[in-house]
Amino acid sequence: MIKVDPALCIGCLACSNVCPSKNIVRDDTIEKRTISWKKCGEECDLCVEFCPARVLTLVAESEETAIAFELVACRICGTRYATEPMLRRIEASLPEALQKDSSGLAWIWVCPVCRRNIEAERATREMVLGRSRSVMGDRDR
Amino acid sequence: MPVYVDISRCIGCRSCEVACQRVHEGRGHVNVHYAGDHAAVPVFCHHCQEAMCAKACYTSALYKDGERTAFAVDKCTGCGLCRLACPFGVVWTDKLAHKCDLCSPRETPTCILTCPANALTTDYESASRRARARAAMMVAHGGRR
Repeated sequence: MIKVDPALCIGCLACSNVCPSKNIVRDDTIEKRTISWKKCGEECDLCVEFCPARVLTLVAESEETAIAFELVACRICGTRYATEPMLRRIEASLPEALQKDSSGLAWIWVCPVCRRNIEAERATREMVLGRSRSVMGDRDR
Repeated sequence: MPVYVDISRCIGCRSCEVACQRVHEGRGHVNVHYAGDHAAVPVFCHHCQEAMCAKACYTSALYKDGERTAFAVDKCTGCGLCRLACPFGVVWTDKLAHKCDLCSPRETPTCILTCPANALTTDYESASRRARARAAMMVAHGGRR
């Protein structure tokens, strides 16, 4: 049987993905992610081995457990895109200097779609600036 | 050798997107963005020197292979940490992670071969040469402000 430490689980679904017998079930809604660990009698420890937070153990007897994670909303568009412990883990694993982009934005708390938009806008600004300079140059000639 | 983009050449045709999807079974890793009427910008994996996706990956499925940030699909657990660790939003996870692999083992990424506007290159030298040439033109035409 699988035992989970709910205080340390980050809600990433690695265990559910590696489980060969579908005993770890995910239920994602727009606002919430729920993971349920069913009573599992298999002789297999893939979930334990691949848990990034090392919060799973195998025990002789345990009840079905479920944890619900409220998903974090993107600071720009408001789309809910990740569980908070996952973002905290990213925050803890990166050097602080890299956690803000050149404009001072804490990009970890922005969803991947908005991150792509910001990158495109930055590149455009650079290019348009170059273009306007060359137009000015032509005019001066 | 990441893919370098010369945005002033990009015509926004999205051929790179299609080419990428074609070689990666429908899951592309390029997104062409439009900035109003000003520009089209293909957004790519930068193959960062300090790759945060690789730092976040706890099974070493993502790793640095020379200049390339490579991905070993058999080690991926689909946890999604890499997707959240990428500052540019160019790592995806649906069950398993996927990202730009520079079309390895092909010699040249397909997006570069496909681009009809010659906006893409892996050659840093030619990308910077173009930028220098443009800067020189500006100086010749009256200089910078």
